[in-house]
Amino acid sequence: MDKPQRPLYSAEVTREKLINDVRKDMSGKKNRFPQLYWIITLALLIGIWQLAAVHIHFALLMPSPWSTFKALLQSVADPKILIALLITLKRVGIGFAVACLIGISLGYLMGYSKTILRFLDPLTNSVRLIPIMAWVPLTIVWFGLGDGPTIFLIAFAGLFSIMLSTISGVHDISADYYNAARSMGAGRLSIFTHVVIPGSLPSVLTGMRIGLGGGWMSVICAEFIATSSGFGHEMVYAETMLETNKLIALMILSGLVGFTIDRGMLLLSRKVIKWKNS
Amino acid sequence: MPELNVINLSKTYTNGRKTHQVLDDINFAVNHGEFLSIVGPSGCGKTTLLNIIAGFIPTSSGQVIAGDKPVNGPGPDRAFVFQNYALFPWMTVKDNILYPMKMQKVDIQIRETRLNELLTMAHLGGKETLYPHHLSGGMKQRVAVIRALACHPRLLLMDEPLGAVDTQMRHKLQLELEAIFRKDSATVIMVTHDIDEAVFLSDRVIVLSGRGKIAADVPVSLTRPRDRKNTEYIRIVNNLNDILDDIPQPQESELNAE
Repeated sequence: MDKPQRPLYSAEVTREKLINDVRKDMSGKKNRFPQLYWIITLALLIGIWQLAAVHIHFALLMPSPWSTFKALLQSVADPKILIALLITLKRVGIGFAVACLIGISLGYLMGYSKTILRFLDPLTNSVRLIPIMAWVPLTIVWFGLGDGPTIFLIAFAGLFSIMLSTISGVHDISADYYNAARSMGAGRLSIFTHVVIPGSLPSVLTGMRIGLGGGWMSVICAEFIATSSGFGHEMVYAETMLETNKLIALMILSGLVGFTIDRGMLLLSRKVIKWKNS
Repeated sequence: MPELNVINLSKTYTNGRKTHQVLDDINFAVNHGEFLSIVGPSGCGKTTLLNIIAGFIPTSSGQVIAGDKPVNGPGPDRAFVFQNYALFPWMTVKDNILYPMKMQKVDIQIRETRLNELLTMAHLGGKETLYPHHLSGGMKQRVAVIRALACHPRLLLMDEPLGAVDTQMRHKLQLELEAIFRKDSATVIMVTHDIDEAVFLSDRVIVLSGRGKIAADVPVSLTRPRDRKNTEYIRIVNNLNDILDDIPQPQESELNAE
């Protein structure tokens, strides 16, 4: 009988395996005391940092961990920083929504139709290799300074991983499921809503998670250059004010926000695909 | 009128310039309520034959007639039980069984009654909210069978439905399958490589030769449930084994066809 077609983007599947199971680390073995390793590694890092700060003895180059921690507490309570963070998150939200809309619909079209895949594949595979930051000057020309370039970049950063995961999600659905549905009397529409969408959903959500992570990374960078508001701009401001401890505090904060977004997406995926968990 | 007619059916696969004949002028009919097994050496085309009857793959020549209509695609009149069950992992047991009934627009009240009837028949009461992921192999197999039976198909096609379970479990499931079919009076075509299983369940066993022809068509008219120690049972099993032993093994290259 017909062999199910080989998934074109099966690398995504192994990536999904790697990042989907947080209880396993990169070595692939179960880690029974993740907190312990976290504490030891962080303590070592802070220790080295402290030694370096004492040795260099110049707060502009190397502020101490303690002053950085104080700056972090101040930043979290600073309405100006919080508003900047909200502005940035709003951009991420809009850009991500655009990325999902375009990425998922193109992904389904390309996953469903070989012809569309063949036409669009050269296009996407060339355009997506342009480094995302290389778009910044052009987007400033197009949209001017402000929200435009940042939203464009977030959307663009997420688009391809969402699209490729959707394609691989559709391709990975076993031919047996299509045959089963058809022999139970399902038409094209029901096959799409009851087989293709749920069958590809885990992969789509993984792509969304990777895309959102990429979007968060590029938005900060875009805000250095293309706008005069937002979290990235606050970082540049801290730099020009020579507040290195605040700058590092904001870096840590951006990492924490990124981590929260990523875990949020992971929990959401787990909630949506109940059927995959034991 | 027979439920299924297979007329002059042939199937050839072309691979570059090489053509390979998988099925060669197959003719048989299946009557209402009959349980037919198709056995044969691996690569003999038995799974291909079943897939053609299901409408998953087209014929090269000849035709299959289900009821009074020629087959040209899958349809709910021919339900299929896959070797790997193909239960939708994203649907609960209940939703899996309700799916064919929804697709065939069965009345909501009738759906619920039928669902409960099927679950009781297959000893799956209380499991309806579980996902296939949580079920044992035997339970998945039973869900697959009752899902296929849900809308009283004209024909039930099963591709090695017990291929993945051990002998002890197999015997238990064979008894359960038989009980289900007797209650639901289904017409069944099963592909298997297990002669004992074929004799235990079938009214008739067709043996395919390595060249895609029918080598034998053996009726089995023992009372049910069958006794594996019965001398007539043993005689039929031995007879079928002899027929299979006489079939030359297909070439390595032909094994890929199935």
